[in-house]
Amino acid sequence: MSMQSTQILYDIHNGETFGTLIAIYFYLTGLSAGSFIISTLSYGFGFERFKPLGKIGIVIATLLLAAAPMFLLAHSGQKLRVWHLFVYLNPTSPITWGSFLLMLYPLNCVVYGFFMFRGQKRLTRTFGLIGIPLALMVHGYTGFILAFGKARPLWNSSVMPLLFLVSAMVSGIAMMIIVSAIRDRFFTKEHALNMDILSALARMLGWCLVFDLFLTSTEMAVHGISHLGAQESVALLLTGPFAGLFLLLENLMGKVIPMLVMLSPRARRAVPLLLLASILVMIGIYTMRYNVVVGGEYIPLL
Amino acid sequence: MSREKRFGFLVDLRRCIGCQSCSIACKQEWNVPVGRYRAWVKQVAKGMFPHTRKSFLPILCNNCEKPICVMVCPVLASYQKPNGIVEVDPHKCIGCRYCMASCPYGVRYLHPDLGIAQKCNWCSHLTENGAQPACVAACPASARIFGDLKDPDSEINRLIAQNGVQSIKPEMGTGPRAFYIGLDDITVEVKAQGHELMHLSE
Repeated sequence: MSMQSTQILYDIHNGETFGTLIAIYFYLTGLSAGSFIISTLSYGFGFERFKPLGKIGIVIATLLLAAAPMFLLAHSGQKLRVWHLFVYLNPTSPITWGSFLLMLYPLNCVVYGFFMFRGQKRLTRTFGLIGIPLALMVHGYTGFILAFGKARPLWNSSVMPLLFLVSAMVSGIAMMIIVSAIRDRFFTKEHALNMDILSALARMLGWCLVFDLFLTSTEMAVHGISHLGAQESVALLLTGPFAGLFLLLENLMGKVIPMLVMLSPRARRAVPLLLLASILVMIGIYTMRYNVVVGGEYIPLL
Repeated sequence: MSREKRFGFLVDLRRCIGCQSCSIACKQEWNVPVGRYRAWVKQVAKGMFPHTRKSFLPILCNNCEKPICVMVCPVLASYQKPNGIVEVDPHKCIGCRYCMASCPYGVRYLHPDLGIAQKCNWCSHLTENGAQPACVAACPASARIFGDLKDPDSEINRLIAQNGVQSIKPEMGTGPRAFYIGLDDITVEVKAQGHELMHLSE
């Protein structure tokens, strides 16, 4: 920029494109993918310790993935034309990939859950393992949607699909900690918490948070020294109108503090603290979706 | 003539007086809804008194050579014609707004009543029949030049060859085909902030 004083007198901003509805959609698919993967730990990969979460995990994953496309529908300008997505195919558009993933993944969830409740172990395992790449893709593709939005420097990053996958795991595990505690406390005969599972989930969550924080700070550092638009997007999150949401709610309360709780063997055994930290993580990842989607298009293009 | 054309657009900023005739002509031609614009003139005040000047930047669709909006449209509603103009099929568009999100120039909008994306198409109904776009015909300063980039004798080709021309955000790699003579980086880069933005988008 020059040393001159410049002031904008007149410009046009043609309105928000994705907004909160899409942020919620991303959040729900992330939760679904995370809980599906927790469900397959026992029924797909044979970690017997996580068996109590198998059935509840797949039920939640299916329900969330049934709810998620409703937000897409609400966002669409021409709701009766959604069938176009399956007829007019554009292989270079991530949304076209997504329309098939959003059909296949819940279908596979239902089949996998059906065999699980029927007690057919081998078929359950097969569909669980088929579901893993589908779960990864159904959330990974949402990262591609943003990464292909090349106009917006905050979105246009090759880290975005990976960051979305990791934050899906983070929010999914946090939700399963809460679900597991509620299930043990209110829906079992013993009313006793299974500390073994909670502790294992907490440790997993802790390390996922470490990876998430690493990716987030990588993004900030590289964008911070990159071209002008990227620098503006970082300034928006670190010092601009989104600083409170990004620094405090998303990263301090939603990631750093829970990470410390999850990685401390003593702290994670204190159940109220563990649950509070898990709730913070779920709020934090929702805030992350909001910051990325709405913050990404906050700065005008011209 | 059977030869295929490749249309291009040139704005001579030395001539632009910022009168917004182009914006109004566009609104009239296309019945553009309130608060939405296909073409407009960004206005910036530069310098300190007494060394000041208003700077004008007419914005319109670049009808890019490699349009990102066409690449990401999930239902093939956005498409590029052989003459380079990018159109939206109003019967296919589902209003997902992905094209709006990915366009580096912010020239697309969602029609509030029809629920579909719309954009400047260099008045293809006129230009494909030999006439000029509405904004070009309305410009009182003759600052807007429309023509065939494949015709070596066209006015637009002569001006591009004989002047320094720029385009907005060429680094986006979409191959914008709206060119400017005398494009000012400061005018391009200065952006509305916070409350200003709210005010401007009213």
